[in-house]
Amino acid sequence: MVSESVRISFSKTGRLKYISHLDLCRTMQTAMIRAKIPLRYTEGFNPHPKMIFTQPLPLFAESECELLDIRLTEDMPHEEICARLRKEFADGLYINKVYEPLSKFGEISYALYKITGFESARERELEELLSGEIAVKKKTKDGKEKVIDIRPLVRSLERREDALEALLGAAPDSYLNPDTLCRSMCERGLGKGAYGILRIGWYRGDMSPFE
Amino acid sequence: MLTDNILRNVMKPGRYTGGEFGQTVKDKTKINARFAFCFPDTYEIGMSNLGMRLLYHALNQMPDTWCERVFAPWPDMEEQMRSNSLPLYALESGDPVKDFDFMGITLQYELCYTNVLNMLELAGIPLLAKDRGEDFPIVVGGGPCTYNAEPLCDFFDVFSIGEGEEALCEMVRLYIEMKSSGSYTKAGYLRELSHIEGFYVPSLYRVEYNPDGTVESYAPLYPDVPGKIRKRIIKDLDAAPFPDTFVMPYIETVHDRITEEVYRGCIRGCRFCQAGMIYRPVREKSPDRVNEQVRCLYEHTGYDEVSLLSLSISDYSRLSHLTEKLLEWTDREKVSLSLPSLRADTFSKELMDRISSVRQSGLTFAPEAGTQRLRDAINKNISEEEILRACSLAFAGGKSNVKLYFMLGLPTETKEDLDGIRDTAMRVAEEFYRTPGRKGRAPQVTISCACFIPKPFTAFQWDAQDSLESLSEKQRYLAEIISDKRLKFNYHDAYASRVEAALARGDRRLGRVLLECRRLGMRFDAWDEFFRYEDWIKAFSAAGMDMGFYANRAFSTEETLPWDIIDIGVTKRFLLSEYNRSRESKPTPNCRESCSGCGANRLGGVTAWCPKASE
Ligand code: SF4
Repeated sequence: MVSESVRISFSKTGRLKYISHLDLCRTMQTAMIRAKIPLRYTEGFNPHPKMIFTQPLPLFAESECELLDIRLTEDMPHEEICARLRKEFADGLYINKVYEPLSKFGEISYALYKITGFESARERELEELLSGEIAVKKKTKDGKEKVIDIRPLVRSLERREDALEALLGAAPDSYLNPDTLCRSMCERGLGKGAYGILRIGWYRGDMSPFE
Repeated sequence: MLTDNILRNVMKPGRYTGGEFGQTVKDKTKINARFAFCFPDTYEIGMSNLGMRLLYHALNQMPDTWCERVFAPWPDMEEQMRSNSLPLYALESGDPVKDFDFMGITLQYELCYTNVLNMLELAGIPLLAKDRGEDFPIVVGGGPCTYNAEPLCDFFDVFSIGEGEEALCEMVRLYIEMKSSGSYTKAGYLRELSHIEGFYVPSLYRVEYNPDGTVESYAPLYPDVPGKIRKRIIKDLDAAPFPDTFVMPYIETVHDRITEEVYRGCIRGCRFCQAGMIYRPVREKSPDRVNEQVRCLYEHTGYDEVSLLSLSISDYSRLSHLTEKLLEWTDREKVSLSLPSLRADTFSKELMDRISSVRQSGLTFAPEAGTQRLRDAINKNISEEEILRACSLAFAGGKSNVKLYFMLGLPTETKEDLDGIRDTAMRVAEEFYRTPGRKGRAPQVTISCACFIPKPFTAFQWDAQDSLESLSEKQRYLAEIISDKRLKFNYHDAYASRVEAALARGDRRLGRVLLECRRLGMRFDAWDEFFRYEDWIKAFSAAGMDMGFYANRAFSTEETLPWDIIDIGVTKRFLLSEYNRSRESKPTPNCRESCSGCGANRLGGVTAWCPKASE
């Protein structure tokens, strides 16, 4: 049996920002069936399609660069997969392209985000934020709260035109939820709570782009 | 306007944003009638409702009509809507419901009535039909509760009685015709509508009451208004409009799968069951049609789970033929098939192995009563041997969990019947040890007890509901005698059942109670976390009404019933004879064994075993 891996890059914007990652998975699965993509299923009692996503987006965040790997049971040209899938989504979910994956998600170290809603934050305040610990409260698995420092997970945070660009840890063991950073910035008075997050790219440890 | 800020402050914002794949969007400038289809419960429940899917499709098939969806906002969203002055809107266009031509509300269970009033209020539509001028939408009700919608008469312009696929389209067409010819007035339209079979315009009838509070009479105000409203049915289900796709919810719904109706009606005639009477006569879809529809829905929705819907799937006359046909391709495509209403007495090992609903979850049976005597009285034609045989099959297949459903407070019930509940469960547990090839060390038998609720158009429509004291006493008694470790006992809230009974058998005067409920801010009463019995008591007493009069009174077989104005096909005479037979614990054969002359055949569209009627 052929088992070709295929990578799908897609945007999740607009209305889709109100849809959780779990719901996105279900939406993808039904769309794949509608599009008759020859998906490879897992073995076992309750077979389901093999789909591997990059780090999930938090609710209310958008993205131009979500990645999904699937495996096929028979050949299908990439353009065909792309064309078929594009027909299966309503506004907010758009297939950017479909291609052969040349590297594994494990190589990803950072995700780049464009963050709006902190226009009033001054340069000095940002510098101050980055100069020391950024302590945030986190719920552990057993329900207790503990304080952690997220500063090491923030590689950079800079103003670019009217928005901020943040490069945050995105490897499985050093993932920073961009929402956590934004909330902590709001708590420090850098913003008023109405912020927008858009994921725009992935990077390796050596800062080469990942796709 | 619906803003990001509002949506950030609510749970599951995906409930309120619409824009799903498969929704219907039309060009407003080419539309003559806009229909807001309202489901007075959450998005997750409403989106799972097959009736809504069918009617959404039927209405949108008309090129100049646009039907959109509306659900009840959860209290967190309601709060946001009220504080931001955001009126109730439809998901497809985001337009306020107030600007629509029709506000159609489906009435699935009595406890959603408080949501109905709340939705009217959130839409900015006056609650009382008489206070609404020409510019407000026509408020139309449909669904099972309309067989006695008297408590809602003050709030609705019209009810559509029976199956709506054809009727609603006729209703909209008449509206468009009258509008385009310039002859439209609301009163004129409603009057005209009352001439079409299946439409009940409550304002066209005067109700008189006797000094003892019972109904004396219903009289049409004009000679052209029919004295009785006959329900509508679809005669040929194979030919009925059927959607080739569903709106695909982004967020997970209650039944997030293909639901396919296999037939309507029921041959059984359990005496407490309203669905068994109001959906008669039985009309089946052909296996080929079902297979074709499921296949089409699979391809257009991408759901990999199919559930066959009916009141009792085992009664489908060509079930094995149908499952053969379906399994031919569903196995291959890894689509799982479930038959939720499989009856114990038709259970075969072979079927069980192939149906995933049985494979995956435990087994459930609904003996409803604990002794054969009471099962005969309620006409639940299932014997203990049949239950045990089915359980034994299940145990042999590796199951050890069984769930048994019973009802408390059924007419003619005695203490022996209560003991019988425990004894039945014990014998099921013992069956486990007698089954060769069983897995696990001990069985787990769950006993789940609901409270009997007398419902209109059943043989028990005249019976009193047990008092709260008596029901609680019975629950206590059972909790005491069900002591075996292998048995688990749980029961339903008797308070909610009492309110349900009162609303189910209510008359028009209960409209006052519902108004009080709105004043008290009540909503989501079908949800345990929001149902508050004290509030209902307050509302009844503020309206000067007595809940017991409707719930706990044995209605006389002589008196005029509030729902006598509706003709469901099944005759009152038949129900009365069923009532009498129940007092003698005499069962009645099911329709396939022999016809008992219920009268539903007069509606036409009958299956082979119903005698053809010329009327
Ligand atoms: S007319 Fe006879 S066969 Fe038909 S539904 Fe009624 S009882 Fe059953």
